[in-house]
Amino acid sequence: MSRPSSPVELAAALSGQAYLADRGLSTAMFLALSLQRPLLLEGEAGVGKTEAAKALAAAFGVDLIRLQCYEGIDAGQALYEWDYARQLLHIRALSERAAADDRAVEELFGPQFLVERPLLKALRAGDHAVLLIDEIDRADDEFEAFLLEVLSDFQVTVPEIGTIKADVPPAVVVTSNRTRELHDALKRRCLYHWIDYPTPEREIEIVRLRAPEVDGQLAAKVAAAVGRLRGLDMAKPPGVAETIDWAHALNALGATALDETTATDTLGAVVKDHDDMALVMEHLAEVVGNA
Amino acid sequence: MPAAADLLPALVGLGHELRVDGLAVGTGQLIAFSRAVGLLDPSDSDDVYWAARASLVSRHEDLDAFERAFRRWAGRAGGIAMKVTGELPRLPMTAPREPAGAVRRRLEPAVDADRGQVASSADVLRHKRFVDCTPGELAALAELMARLRLRVPDRRVRRTAPSSKGRYPDLRRTVRRAMRSQGEVLDQSWRARLRRPRRVVLLLDVSGSMAGYSRALLQFAHTAARHGRVPTEVFCFGTRLTRVTVALRHRRPDEALARAAETVVDWEGGTRIGDSIRTFVREWGRRGMARGAVVVVCSDGLERGEPAALAAEMAKLARLAHRIVWVNPLKGDPRYLPLAGGMSAALPFVDIFLAGHDLASLEALAALLPELI
Repeated sequence: MSRPSSPVELAAALSGQAYLADRGLSTAMFLALSLQRPLLLEGEAGVGKTEAAKALAAAFGVDLIRLQCYEGIDAGQALYEWDYARQLLHIRALSERAAADDRAVEELFGPQFLVERPLLKALRAGDHAVLLIDEIDRADDEFEAFLLEVLSDFQVTVPEIGTIKADVPPAVVVTSNRTRELHDALKRRCLYHWIDYPTPEREIEIVRLRAPEVDGQLAAKVAAAVGRLRGLDMAKPPGVAETIDWAHALNALGATALDETTATDTLGAVVKDHDDMALVMEHLAEVVGNA
Repeated sequence: MPAAADLLPALVGLGHELRVDGLAVGTGQLIAFSRAVGLLDPSDSDDVYWAARASLVSRHEDLDAFERAFRRWAGRAGGIAMKVTGELPRLPMTAPREPAGAVRRRLEPAVDADRGQVASSADVLRHKRFVDCTPGELAALAELMARLRLRVPDRRVRRTAPSSKGRYPDLRRTVRRAMRSQGEVLDQSWRARLRRPRRVVLLLDVSGSMAGYSRALLQFAHTAARHGRVPTEVFCFGTRLTRVTVALRHRRPDEALARAAETVVDWEGGTRIGDSIRTFVREWGRRGMARGAVVVVCSDGLERGEPAALAAEMAKLARLAHRIVWVNPLKGDPRYLPLAGGMSAALPFVDIFLAGHDLASLEALAALLPELI
């Protein structure tokens, strides 16, 4: 992966992938790439944390290796696992011929029986990949400690095979929804960036870029309406993803303007909570800009 | 590109500035910061700002403090000469704070009377209402309270460990053992799901009407959060909600309490329980903190807001939490009836309603938590 020479160059490459990064995000990403440190991204749901990693991989034409975290994830699911079924079959085949042969047994733990999981894949790919560790807060403490070890040296030891090390570490993006506090040690390994909601102008640009078939004026109206929704004190304020969805939904219905009728029909694309829906319906005229 | 080395003293100065505002900045982070500035344009205030923010801050709650410190540092002659190219991101509005010292003084138990003067024996003290205790007695209580250990019910987690009674096949160990018998699987190995204690969330009312109890409850929270293997989160509320979990982590109780008090802006003010619970559910609870947790609300239930709103928020909290315990110091009085608007509105959603006016009642709380299956 050819590293960008400045945040501006990086932002341009990302916008080529229909991802608009502001000054803060592009600087943080540029620094993470240059300093070869993982980048920890936080922000409200739907502001484009995962998309940032995807766009980064696409912009530099490298693979995106995604490790989705969940409760109970362990090294076997993240790093490597042996193909036990095949190993067993292999032993059975062996035992009839030359069971005492050491080399045959050694083969059992050769590369052909190793199942690579995302972390190992990323270490092997080195800088030909972007490693996305998604929603790390869903994993537990033990897994975080293990991850810290991998992210510190970018190397792992598989006892049967030896040490595998990335010559040039892959670009690493870690995302968290802050359901729990991450360990300081892990945070210190990372550069940190909080992705905020975009400014109204930028949000219009994003909608036009991600939903090019939507009429420009409609896109502007949708972005403005979402801006007003965020001011409504909702339990789940809509993210940028919802803005784009809403524009798509309106367009699919053939709507050319945002008014109370078309908004009511498509509100499910932006408002995903029962109480919020009641609140929004109360203020609908205001939201669509008719008040 | 100018060598960042010349700027090093100035850059390190920002680290000191941040530490003044209570941000823990490690040397490793400062090294990353100076390397980052070297990669960018040190004369551009925006570049320096974003480099500092990416490398020196690691949690969203610290951004306010960072903005303050950065502005101070950038505005001083000791900083680097930067041309201001763009608008720095606007400083989020924060409520004016009471000078930290004032709160600290109020919280400190004035142990002027020496310890020997604490006439009451431990047992009498145990049943003395916190609000009636002298500062010396409160200090003695703190020592008793430090022995308290919180235990909570377990929940089964998704992580597994080898176990002969498990239900999930352990292929790794099965294959390993089969190798000893030439690949013949003689017996299978199993894994079982582990059990972990549930999280405890303490929501402490520190409004004016609770003034006599706040210190003791915070002390209790400190003990609960520091000891044992129970993950604990602590929040204080009056008119607004403040997370004090991090502040309470300090080893020495007095220091921890003082730090917690400094983060709370509405100490001994009014009470808006409904709003505070709403903020908790939105900002923390829904994201995962309250899910499956034991939530303990410590409040007298004297609500200034609308009781109906409190009921609605309690209903939401009850849907997230495993159990809700309400600790009310007023209940220590046998004549007390929970008729006040707020308390009677919240009660239908409370699994256990307890007094919390003296040490004995807090001990009862600690003993009761493990039973909350």
